[in-house]
Amino acid sequence: MKDTEEYHVILFDSVHHALRSEKILKEMGIPHKLIPVPRHISSDCGICLRFAAHLRNRINEALNGRVEIREIRVLE
Amino acid sequence: MVKFIDAKGLACPQPVLLTKKALEQENDVTVIVDNEPAVENIKRLGNHMGCTLHTDKQEDGSFQIHLSREAGKSPAASLDVSCATGPLVIAISSDRMGRGNDELGYVLIRSFIHTILSLEPLPHTVIFYNTGVKLTVKDSDVLDDLKELEKKGVAIIVCGTCLNYFNISADLSVGIISNMYDIASAMAAAGKLVVP
Repeated sequence: MKDTEEYHVILFDSVHHALRSEKILKEMGIPHKLIPVPRHISSDCGICLRFAAHLRNRINEALNGRVEIREIRVLE
Repeated sequence: MVKFIDAKGLACPQPVLLTKKALEQENDVTVIVDNEPAVENIKRLGNHMGCTLHTDKQEDGSFQIHLSREAGKSPAASLDVSCATGPLVIAISSDRMGRGNDELGYVLIRSFIHTILSLEPLPHTVIFYNTGVKLTVKDSDVLDDLKELEKKGVAIIVCGTCLNYFNISADLSVGIISNMYDIASAMAAAGKLVVP
């Protein structure tokens, strides 16, 4: 993975939502990675999905209406 | 004025605590210790407190460390002092972390492995055995993390018997295939052995 790539993360209120999203993205072949929520971001569930910034639109479309997301933000 | 500390014969964490105290009073401190872990701990303290460091090995086997604190730099709040006398070794015995729920366990182990990358210092060795070896083969979700660890100099050793058992030897994508001699030796030589 390139260090220069900008990443975004999807935050969830529940681990189950994160897993459901992961399943959907896997099925659609959209690259992503499950990582612990970075320390400086607070979240109840502790895990989030990281993806390359350029995939944001595809990810939005894939998950919109199918799974509950707290927010998507830039990973600093 | 240079403050001089003779910390020979003192058990960890005494030398590093004495050095820290001295650096809070003086900008230049010279400390003598008689073991490598103490040297490493004092170096870490020095870097932490913004010091320039210079170490001389003495003829009697002891080490003389000169620390010089740059004016205006204040010590950071916390410092971990490691009194372990050997390397940190992590043993991954399963592709799940904890027992009870497999789906959750798989989330946790991926999270754990990603987090190893941010440990300071990094482990010396990460060992994979039993179903843990499934994390080291192609299409593993943590392959990028493991490759990054390997790139940073962490030894990744993978149980050959286990790869063979699951018939996935040909798919190994990171680390080196190893046997029980290496695995037992690495564990026995560890200062700290972490098994998530």
